[in-house]
Amino acid sequence: MNTLTVRNVIFRTDELFELQLERGDVQFEPGACVALFSNSTESRPYSIAAGTGEEILRFLIRRVSNGIVSNWLAQRKPGDKVSASAPFGWFRPGRAVAGTRSVFIATGTGIAPFLSYLRSNPQRLPELCLYGVRRQTEAFNLEELQQIDNFRLALSQEEVNGHFHGRITGLLEQIPFADDIHYYLCGLDTMIDETSIWLENHGVAYTQIHREIFFYEDGQL
Amino acid sequence: MKMDNSNQWHCTSQNEPRGYIQPQSLDELWFHAGTNCNLRCPFCLEGSKPGDNRIEFLTLTDARRFMDEALEFGVKKFSFTGGEPFVNPEFIQILDYALELRPCLVLTNATEPLMNQIGDVLPLLDRPNSLNFRVSLDHPDPVKHDESRGRGNFRKALATLGRLYREGFGVSIARLMLSGEDSATVDCAYTPYFESAGVPLDLTIIKFPDFHLPGSLPQVAEITETCMTRYLSAEQRDKFMCNFSKMIVRKNGQCGVYACTLVDDVENYDLGKTLHEAMEKRVLLGHHRCYSCFAGGASCSEG
Repeated sequence: MNTLTVRNVIFRTDELFELQLERGDVQFEPGACVALFSNSTESRPYSIAAGTGEEILRFLIRRVSNGIVSNWLAQRKPGDKVSASAPFGWFRPGRAVAGTRSVFIATGTGIAPFLSYLRSNPQRLPELCLYGVRRQTEAFNLEELQQIDNFRLALSQEEVNGHFHGRITGLLEQIPFADDIHYYLCGLDTMIDETSIWLENHGVAYTQIHREIFFYEDGQL
Repeated sequence: MKMDNSNQWHCTSQNEPRGYIQPQSLDELWFHAGTNCNLRCPFCLEGSKPGDNRIEFLTLTDARRFMDEALEFGVKKFSFTGGEPFVNPEFIQILDYALELRPCLVLTNATEPLMNQIGDVLPLLDRPNSLNFRVSLDHPDPVKHDESRGRGNFRKALATLGRLYREGFGVSIARLMLSGEDSATVDCAYTPYFESAGVPLDLTIIKFPDFHLPGSLPQVAEITETCMTRYLSAEQRDKFMCNFSKMIVRKNGQCGVYACTLVDDVENYDLGKTLHEAMEKRVLLGHHRCYSCFAGGASCSEG
């Protein structure tokens, strides 16, 4: 168990915020989670959004109504202490096999592991990165993501010039296929299930589809 | 070594000699991969959840040491439980080493940690020993399964079960046993799901009673020496897991040898730091989960 110091809490909307913690000597790989504790014994896992070379740990968090941990974290101030587990995880964007290529597909705070990868491996960009949110204000680090050649943002509840209007699954036809491409899906369960089925129906081997569910359509988790 | 030699441990609350098993062999060696799990099931008999560290990740170095030592006792099989073993970052390497030596069994929830690494698991089919997976499907009703394990997890586990079988791995399932159930009827309710997954309809189903959360103290009858001889035959006593298996558990940076897979929350069952030390120890049946073995013959082993 680590005790980490809050560097900052930056709100993007009333519901979404980035929690920054001093890193200390925490070592991690892109895609790693950390269980963060409230002042009770309750904990929830959050994916690290920081690059492996940064001095801080970044977490993209959505406040869940009645969520013990997310609401407690949202009220932290710089200098406060937060208990955290050691990093762990089973979702490793871009790590599948040396020499393979990647496609990233994320919704909401599910962009966090991909931001960690992009910040850690700027020389090995994905073939395509699709990001879906409801409104543009909910998109984390948009300017940074737009530096990727093949980045597309889908806005399901808002029309904005230059971005796709609709659910992210409306962009699936843009996905490239090749035997050496691994597909990484993170975020909403329904997006992940729908996209997994779509990929398999298009001949992608299930061993090349990697998934991480952050939240459920009905607000669970 | 933390064995409690007090009279309180050797005798029941009524001051009768406590029932025990004197281990005869080491047929099966279990390893606890760690209580870190991707799921947070309220009934988990290990209290596992994301980030949990009550039992630490097993390391390849520790696993190799105990596997090599177990060969000296003629061990026939290595088995792994958690937590979810595939959350352990060294687990596939541990399996790789184990499969060079003996057949292996892995207990898994068959969701994302295994799904995401299945490409790394498939080459294990080429190892000299067989690898079997026991997938948790708690209820034959997906809604009930998902109430505890999270939405969609019955469907994912079933799909992974079918994939593992089609690839050539051995598979079985584990389910919860409800009090007063008609076990044959409950088992039969899995048939349509087995059919859809493409696995044999007579798949082995291991049933577990409610073992209660780690550290809990449910009221159960105490087991005396007299109970062991009056109500059980020698053959029945031989079937207690603690008669023929041990479990390796890593806590506070070092491994201990525990009497079985279900008693790692009580330090009295840490029998030593080596198998040689542990095999000489009598196992006193003082844990509430020992009563489940006594009364119902519960076993994590698969024969």
